[in-house]
Amino acid sequence: MALTDDQVARFSRQLLVPGFGEAVQERLLSARVRVVGADGPATAALVALVQAGIGRIWVDDEGYVAPADRQGWIYAPDSVGSPRAAAAREALSPLSRHTVVEPYPAGGVPDAALVFASSAAQGIAMGEVARKAGIPHVMVEPDAEGGAVVSIPVGAPCFSCARSVAGVGRPPVAGIAGLSALAAAELLHLLAQPVGMTGRRIDVVRGVPTTHPTARSPGCACAQPAVPPSLDEGG
Amino acid sequence: MTGVAAPARLDVRADACPMTWVKTRIALGRLAAGDRLEVLLSPGEAAESVPRSAAEDGHRVVALDDLGPAEGVRLVLEKADGGEAAWP
Amino acid sequence: MSLAGKTALVVGAGGLGGPALLTLAAAGVGRLLVADADAVDTTNLARQPLFGEADLGARKADAAAARLAAVFPGAAAQARDVRVTTENVLALAAEADVVLDGTDNFAAKFLLSDAAIRTRKPLVHGGVLRTTFQILTVNPLGLGGCLRCLFEAPPPEGAVPACADAGVLGAAAAAAGALMGAEAIRLLDGERGAYEGRLLTYETRSARGRLVLVRKRPHCPGCSPEALGSAMPGAPAPHEVTAGRPGGAA
Repeated sequence: MALTDDQVARFSRQLLVPGFGEAVQERLLSARVRVVGADGPATAALVALVQAGIGRIWVDDEGYVAPADRQGWIYAPDSVGSPRAAAAREALSPLSRHTVVEPYPAGGVPDAALVFASSAAQGIAMGEVARKAGIPHVMVEPDAEGGAVVSIPVGAPCFSCARSVAGVGRPPVAGIAGLSALAAAELLHLLAQPVGMTGRRIDVVRGVPTTHPTARSPGCACAQPAVPPSLDEGG
Repeated sequence: MTGVAAPARLDVRADACPMTWVKTRIALGRLAAGDRLEVLLSPGEAAESVPRSAAEDGHRVVALDDLGPAEGVRLVLEKADGGEAAWP
Repeated sequence: MSLAGKTALVVGAGGLGGPALLTLAAAGVGRLLVADADAVDTTNLARQPLFGEADLGARKADAAAARLAAVFPGAAAQARDVRVTTENVLALAAEADVVLDGTDNFAAKFLLSDAAIRTRKPLVHGGVLRTTFQILTVNPLGLGGCLRCLFEAPPPEGAVPACADAGVLGAAAAAAGALMGAEAIRLLDGERGAYEGRLLTYETRSARGRLVLVRKRPHCPGCSPEALGSAMPGAPAPHEVTAGRPGGAA
């Protein structure tokens, strides 16, 4: 299906970017992205994904909006205390009629995942789920106003291999939005033109991003190819 | 397919830059290499920048005819192999 | 003084300015001046996070201030529905503790750099093109150079911009604007800027970043002592007629 006139107008600037175009925009509009965590650090990425025209965003978060989440972009004072996934949907839906924001459906298989884990253990677990599902995924490790983004195309070194072992980062602050948006950009590139994307880790310290390719730890299970995702086009 | 198919036509005289180029680029994207696209442009900015952008993307400018101030400019492009600027 | 007592001027409420404003508001900056002279258009919605479907046709400065007020009531957001020119830029900058450049044309960027030097206010300059962004902090009280130290001059006026240059990846703009906001917060906190005297360039597809040193250039028309002794570049001398002076390439 070709883009509608409204979609062409809305995505016009993105359609002009090399590597993006009508076919890619259609791919983004039919993509399902699971975003694990809708806390303050996740909000900038959520906004960026809606704006890029991701068709379906599955917000996987059973928590409640905390005062600290107001350091993100979307939670107004009266949303504090309400379920985060619902509050995120309410805040994001008015931005675009081309994106559906809904709670993650149990058992749903997305085309890609973006993870703002609440703990190292959850991050490792989510990374494994994504790896076994054979989908590209981006993991975010916040640390005050910076932190790290680990980008994992299909087959790349997994999150366990690539993650920071320096321990949990400091509590995030408002400036974390930069890291969050960089993570969204990584995911968009992985969806738009996966060929040529390699596993990498972007560390942001005092506003300066430094990128290194990720490397597999010897003996890691991620060396074996994952079962490819179902080719079912439906949903 | 033998012979040259009738060119696809696009009229962007009512559009402003950069929509003129956005629509042209999309139309080119839907064609096969070697196909032609005829674009009607308003004189002025679009008539200069659209052919240039198309050439930068690797397409061939087959014709650029001034149809007069009322009708505008007719640009005929031939889609190149590989089409739009791709990543190395 | 905490951020609540500080004022930030953000020029341009679009792809760069929007994310910067959201980050500043979220951090608790007390007053946000939003300068933008345009109306919200469909083509803006895919990369300008302050605006949604319901804002189409509205004045950007007003819509931005309203959205910020709704989510961050503590950040007194004020709309300045004006185009920034040599006539008003000094007064606007003087109201703020930090200035952020969310504009989309080089004439405006150079104007803001000149004004920052003259009002002795720090400026966080930013730009985005396709998948690449750049950020530089111009600190008039610091050792680094200004925008004119880095670039000799804006592109020649009258040069037709390539339509393709309009391509922008919204997420790249969002990252740039957010990083600009974080930098402004550092400056407001009294820290040295991360981009002071060094331009960060980052391309999102390759994830490649580069830092380029920007030293003060002798005889720079923007920040050298002799330049500061005369009128701002682009400002008409008192006896000149201003009608017809071009506003710069868009």
